[in-house]
Amino acid sequence: MSRDEDSSIILAAEPWPENAALYQQMKEEQILLSDNASSLAVQAFLQMCSLPVQVVCRPNAEYMSPSGKVPFIHVGNQVVSELGPIVQFVKAKGHSLSDGLDEVQKAEMKAYMELVNNMLLTAELYLQWCDDATVEEITHPRYGSPYPWPLNRILAYQKQWEVRRKMKAIGWAGKSLEQVLEDVDQCCQALSQRLGTQPYFFNKLPTELDALVFGHLFTILTTQLTSDELSEKVKNYSNLVAFCRRIEQQYFEGRDKDSSSTSRFSKGPLLR
Amino acid sequence: MAAPMELSCWGGGWGLPSVHTESLIVMAYARFSGAPLRMSAVDHSWSAPQGDVPVLISEDAVIAQPAKILNYLRKQKYNADYELSAKQGADTLAYIALLEEKLLPAILHTFWVEAENYCSVTKPWYASRIPFPLRLYLPGKMSRKALNRILLMRGEPPLYRLNDVEAQIYRDAKECLNLLSNRLGTSQFFFGNTPTTLDAFVFGFLAPLYKVHFPKVQLQEHLKQLHNLCRFCDDILSGYFRLSVTDG
Repeated sequence: MSRDEDSSIILAAEPWPENAALYQQMKEEQILLSDNASSLAVQAFLQMCSLPVQVVCRPNAEYMSPSGKVPFIHVGNQVVSELGPIVQFVKAKGHSLSDGLDEVQKAEMKAYMELVNNMLLTAELYLQWCDDATVEEITHPRYGSPYPWPLNRILAYQKQWEVRRKMKAIGWAGKSLEQVLEDVDQCCQALSQRLGTQPYFFNKLPTELDALVFGHLFTILTTQLTSDELSEKVKNYSNLVAFCRRIEQQYFEGRDKDSSSTSRFSKGPLLR
Repeated sequence: MAAPMELSCWGGGWGLPSVHTESLIVMAYARFSGAPLRMSAVDHSWSAPQGDVPVLISEDAVIAQPAKILNYLRKQKYNADYELSAKQGADTLAYIALLEEKLLPAILHTFWVEAENYCSVTKPWYASRIPFPLRLYLPGKMSRKALNRILLMRGEPPLYRLNDVEAQIYRDAKECLNLLSNRLGTSQFFFGNTPTTLDAFVFGFLAPLYKVHFPKVQLQEHLKQLHNLCRFCDDILSGYFRLSVTDG
């Protein structure tokens, strides 16, 4: 533990550089629903902290990442992946969105973040890799798209096997698609009830929870899949839709990018 | 609702009605909601079900897995969350997710993977409750399943080896226990004065960790320092399980 503390003291000394970069897979052809959600969550978080970051798309982003997960950020000479560690890293540099919360609120925030990871992210992974129709039509073609045959097939099957193993270990392999959608609905209901009529989850100011929820819900709402069932589940909760729109307008409008901001409800060119 | 429902679950020890987390969750919920359940502990007779334990057997259905059993009890009008607001219901889901992601890996490790604990406490206890020759095989299988789950959930690069994962999961578990303690504060239960689903889940996770005597007690020591959580477990044991504490 002390080694972590030492390194974080060293990190804190350096200010946030101008050329920080966030790496993810290719936006148009390759990236999948779950990775896009995670990446958007980190982008939203950094925007909320007013930390500039350049989004760089690389087909092998997954392999470049130190933990095998996207997105990861390259800041100075540090490479950090996934929202949790990135929040810690940013905190060590002196920027935090959750400093104003008391202990009970912090516990709640962490609990809700786990809820999103436990239910929404797992449901996205299930849909992408365990639902045969989606796997055939969307996942396999997209996942292997930068690579020639047979590498594209091999990599896709390898990843699918890995994800299915994980699903089996946590008990999701036996679930049907309807049950997974039920779980998504339950999760959205909980988020909607917690949000209520407030602008953000902890009233006036956004926290990493808002970034995470935005990342997942916005991606679900704007991604074209084989059927609309998943996004319909989210659309049932109008305060969640309004929440996404609000964050989009506040933090993403006016940024470069052909995709995220404009094609909000048209389900157009964001993802196939 | 006419005939009593039967719950098949792992038996008790060390002052607990059951040492198995999932069985304990269902038993606690049943006590809180007033559902009339007849407990039958898995023992070395072959008549006990060998599949997923706990299992609820009622006239018209056989249900496994705590979440499904709790849903079924709620549908039968045994609802411990009746007085919760919508937001509290949402909080329940969130905290259960926190328990499963942060606390469960370390509990699984303490019971099933930590070599000294497993060999001297867990395996003999479970083996004595399973009929021969299944007892030679089943505890090992449960142990491997626990290890698998830990590694798949947490063992991503660069944490390839179990040692690295261990440090991380115990850190997470201690943080989770601190968060629970902060959330509980000085109240008797998590949502006021009556116990709810969340209390059942927290009790199910914490009580075995609190009471079972292990040689390697890292996480248990941490839990014992959080006095309000210990008081929480003791309150539920004395308030709702007084009569059956003597079950072996």
